[in-house]
Amino acid sequence: MKNRLLSSVCACAAALVLSSSGWAQAPAAQGFESSRTPNGKPDFSGFWSQPRHVEPRGGGATTFTKERMPPFVEGGEALFYKERTGDPQLDEPRAFCMPSGFPSAFFGPYPVQIVQTDDWLVMVTEFERATRLIPLDGRAYREGIEPTYYGDSVGYWEGDTLVIDSRNFKRWTLDDHYYVNPDEYRMHSDAFRTIERLTRVDASTLSYEFTVEDPKIFTESWTEELQMTLHPEWDETGLYEFHCQENNRCPGGECGAELK
Amino acid sequence: MRKRLPSVVLLAAATAPAYAHHSFSAVFDATKPVAVMGTIVRVEWMNPHIWFYVEVTEPDGGVTEWGFSAAPPGVLMRRGITKDVLRIGSVVNVEGFRARDGSNNASGGSVTLPDGRNVFTASSEDSTARSGGR
Repeated sequence: MKNRLLSSVCACAAALVLSSSGWAQAPAAQGFESSRTPNGKPDFSGFWSQPRHVEPRGGGATTFTKERMPPFVEGGEALFYKERTGDPQLDEPRAFCMPSGFPSAFFGPYPVQIVQTDDWLVMVTEFERATRLIPLDGRAYREGIEPTYYGDSVGYWEGDTLVIDSRNFKRWTLDDHYYVNPDEYRMHSDAFRTIERLTRVDASTLSYEFTVEDPKIFTESWTEELQMTLHPEWDETGLYEFHCQENNRCPGGECGAELK
Repeated sequence: MRKRLPSVVLLAAATAPAYAHHSFSAVFDATKPVAVMGTIVRVEWMNPHIWFYVEVTEPDGGVTEWGFSAAPPGVLMRRGITKDVLRIGSVVNVEGFRARDGSNNASGGSVTLPDGRNVFTASSEDSTARSGGR
C-alpha cells in the first residue's frame, strides 16, 4: 500500500514537473459552460473525431513530425528508426491484425466514443474497437505487470482539465498509418510515456494536448497541440463494428504464417 | 476467357496515396497509379477493408479481373457510401495504386459511378499522405 501511495505521489509529482514546463490550461471560449458529470467535472461523453492538429497540415499528415521532436540521446536514433525490410510481416505487423497500440489506434480517421463517470473515463475507437479504461479515482499505477500495447493509464483533474498519464508500454510502432516513408518506420521504446491534457474549450471542441516522453530515445519531452471535434450526428449509428480478422488480406500472401 | 494480364492505364503523374489499415507503403506502390474501367462483379463489404472486383475487357476481347481494397464499411457509411452504391453489374471507372506484389490488386481510391457521381472510397478521410519527414 505504501508503495502504491508512493507511486501515485511520484506520478503526480512527475506530471507537475511536466506541467511546469510551459503548460497552460487551454482557455474556454467566452460564455461557454461545459456540461458536467454528477461530481461537477466537465463531461466529455460523446462521439468525437480523432485528435488532429489545430492547424491543418494538408492531407493525412502524420501526427508526429521530426521538426517538433527534441534531439536524440546517444543510441536513440537507432532505436527510433527501423528500416523497412520489404517483408510485410516484419515491416507492418499491424497488417496482420496485430494491435495498433496507443497512440496509433486512436489517431487514425475513426471516431472515438468517450463514456465518463465519476470514477472512470472510457475511450473507445472504432478502429479495432480498441478500448482504454482510465481510472479517475486516484488509484496508483499497477505494479509488476507486463508492458502492453496500450500502456497503463491513470487520470486526474487539474481544474477543468483532465490529465491522463500513461506508461508501461511495450516497445511498438509510434505512428498512425499516415507514416508512409517507404524506407523506414518509427518506434517508441519501452520507456515511452504519454501525458494527455483534455479541456473542453467550446461546445464542440476538445483541446487535446499530447506530450511524449521517451528517455531512451529523446533528450526531453515534446508536445503536440491537437483537437477533437464533437459529432452529435454520430450518436444515431454509434461506432460501427470493426474486426480486423473478418476479411484481412495478408500482404505478401503469407497470411497465417507465424509472425517473425 | 480470363487472363491475368495487366490491362491498366498507367497514370503519368504519381500522386500521394491515401493510406490503409495496414501502412500503405507495405502493400501498395505510390509510384504505380492505376485507372481501369470495367464491371463490378463482386463486393466483399467487410472489415478491415471492403474489396470490390472489376472485370475489364481487353482490346483483344479477353477479360482481366482487378481487385480493389478500399476503406472499412464504417468509414464509407459515414461518408454516405452504402453497400448499394457499389452494385454488381455497374460499369465504373476506378483509380488507385497497384499492389507491390505485382498482382492485379490495387488500392481503390475513387470510383466514378454510372450516373457520373465520383465517390471517394480510399481508406482515409484525407486524400493524401506524407511521411512526416525524417
